[in-house]
Amino acid sequence: MTQNGTVVRLSGVRKTFGAHTAVDDFDLAIEPGTIYGLLGPNGSGKTTTIRMMMGILLPDGGSVELFGGAPDFARRSRVGYLPEERGVYEKMKVLDQLVFFGEIRGVARPLARTRAEEWLERLGLSEWTSKKVQALSKGMQQKVQFISTVLHDPELLILDEPFSGLDPINQDVLEEIVLEERERGKTILFSTHLMEQAERLCERVCLISRARKVLDDDLKELKRRERTGVVAVEFEGEAPPVATWPGVSEVEEAGDALHLTLRDGVPTDELLAKVAAEGASLRRFELLEPRLHEIFVRHAGEPAEDNAPPQTGGAS
Amino acid sequence: MKQVWSVIRREYVERVKTRAFILSTLGMPLLIIGIMAVVGFVAVLSEQSERQIALIDLNGQLGERVQQALDRAGYDVELAAPGTDTEDLDQQVLDEELEAYILLDDTTASEAVFAYRSKEPPGGVRSQLMRAAIVEEVVDLRLGEMEDGESVRRLFQGGSLEYEPVGLDEEEAEEAEAERITGMITGIAGGIILYIMMLAYGAQTLQSVLEEKQSRVVELVISSLRPWQLMLGKIVGVGAVGLTQVAIWIGCVALLASLALPTLIAAASDFEELAQFRQYLPGPGAVLLLVVFFLLGYFLYSSLFAAVGAMCRNLQEAGQTQAPLIFLIIIPFMLQMMTFQGNNMQWMNWVALFPFFSPIMMYPRAVMGDVPAWMVAVSIVLMALTVWGSAWVAGRIYKVGILSQGSRPSPRELLRWIREA
Repeated sequence: MTQNGTVVRLSGVRKTFGAHTAVDDFDLAIEPGTIYGLLGPNGSGKTTTIRMMMGILLPDGGSVELFGGAPDFARRSRVGYLPEERGVYEKMKVLDQLVFFGEIRGVARPLARTRAEEWLERLGLSEWTSKKVQALSKGMQQKVQFISTVLHDPELLILDEPFSGLDPINQDVLEEIVLEERERGKTILFSTHLMEQAERLCERVCLISRARKVLDDDLKELKRRERTGVVAVEFEGEAPPVATWPGVSEVEEAGDALHLTLRDGVPTDELLAKVAAEGASLRRFELLEPRLHEIFVRHAGEPAEDNAPPQTGGAS
Repeated sequence: MKQVWSVIRREYVERVKTRAFILSTLGMPLLIIGIMAVVGFVAVLSEQSERQIALIDLNGQLGERVQQALDRAGYDVELAAPGTDTEDLDQQVLDEELEAYILLDDTTASEAVFAYRSKEPPGGVRSQLMRAAIVEEVVDLRLGEMEDGESVRRLFQGGSLEYEPVGLDEEEAEEAEAERITGMITGIAGGIILYIMMLAYGAQTLQSVLEEKQSRVVELVISSLRPWQLMLGKIVGVGAVGLTQVAIWIGCVALLASLALPTLIAAASDFEELAQFRQYLPGPGAVLLLVVFFLLGYFLYSSLFAAVGAMCRNLQEAGQTQAPLIFLIIIPFMLQMMTFQGNNMQWMNWVALFPFFSPIMMYPRAVMGDVPAWMVAVSIVLMALTVWGSAWVAGRIYKVGILSQGSRPSPRELLRWIREA
């Protein structure tokens, strides 16, 4: 185990498909033992980036390092990779398929079988063991595929949109497994366009928009830094004329509450004092943490679903 | 290597388990046996008749002989009394008391032309059998009148060309002849096996590659396997399925032959001839050569088929792209058919040196002894080099192709793939 030293390092990576630049001047470093989120709307370059890490695509510029070297065969075999495209051998039986994937990843046949059975049990697929994969629902197929990526107990998990297509219950199961793997010292990189998911799981996030990295930081640190001095207040009875107060630059109604944006440098104490002076009675007074979604919008614009340029090469 | 083994096993087990394989493997011999049985049964059935066939001899020399001959052929005919009126017989036919009657007259005695009078025409089997029986009797009759009848009779057997190799004694010559016949049988059978294997199983390799690419499973597989390992595993796995099928078919033929052999022995008047049959079995050399040509030919084509599968996005595209490969297999087969028909064209030996044609064209030539040994050796070397080259090219196309989801590459792009892979 080389759990010291950077697990994945991209430096100045660029990838183009014809006239379309999928990834541009991309730097990334993933330290061991972290859960890293690669975030961005569809078509922003997440999958292309991941494919370059796995050596499936070669970058047009820059360098890709896996476990401190080129993503060659030996290094790739230390990775559990779940591609975005859910490919399965549809006509194979579930267990046979898992054993096969275990085997080609160097797990001995009997061990692969035991592990596969354990995982199937754990993900509630025991009764499907000897069914053909095509008989399974999409969600179940996805779980089978997930098992095939962890069967050889890899040091690094690279999961491309692992949660999409799963119902909330199974999303929770998968989240739990991801956290557990992290506890066991694994490094996890996953891509998602679902900001809430990332917010719950990630220790570090990297935001991509239109082929470029816009942010790359520790999530807590990022939130603290991006805190914008918005205070949510709710009053008992009639609200005082907050918009006219000198420290408040903007007022936004949010249900029963008012979101007050403070001018730069105005401490929240001052606002509290003002409320007291007005004689208003407070039901709620809270300094708001920015949501990841807002941070993203602030840095990259609205992550609209359809801002992706026409695709060539099937990369996104 | 262990992983290649896993791929081979998966490919083999998953294929052999399919209904298509079981049906095509067992169905083919069953179908052939079934068709033969039905055809035979129908023919026999149509020959069974409740009603009588009569025979009238206006010439007077042939009546009894023909009756006996027809009896031997399985027809129970009643010889009408001399002087019976044919109009009477016609009436019996019209009244359906008789099915038919055979009218022998002077022309029959001289030229074996006879009348079959009936409301319905005789079936093919009946015409053949009756004609043969009557002609035989007439010939016998006529030859009996001649002095050297016996030699003329032999002349009727068609004569023969007796090849006498110069410089060999009789025993050696016989051996050489047996060898030639063995070579012929082995050559034809081997050629057909090679043709089927390269065409059918090459195409299956293509399908297998395409399926993995289309379902994107390949992305999962390729993160743990080198592309060439996957390709090799596939080719070997599919080839093993093909060999299994051929082995089952040969087993069926052997089983049938062993079942039919007692009948054959009972039917054969000449035991010596039957004993000679064993010497026509191909020797270990011919079998070994078949294996060599099979390995080279199958690898040559299936690697290229795999490359085509990797290039294409769907079966339609693949159908067009594989056309040149199909032609490369069919053309030598057609040329070989011409050779089997006995056209002794020496220049074809040189055509057979073309590596893509060699499996189907050179193998039969080698076992029939039509080409000098050095040519066979050169052909094997050329094929080995071609396999090496095509595997290299195919491997590179495969490596790029299986992960590319774009449209089929133009020839120029293909060259770039090969260069850059």
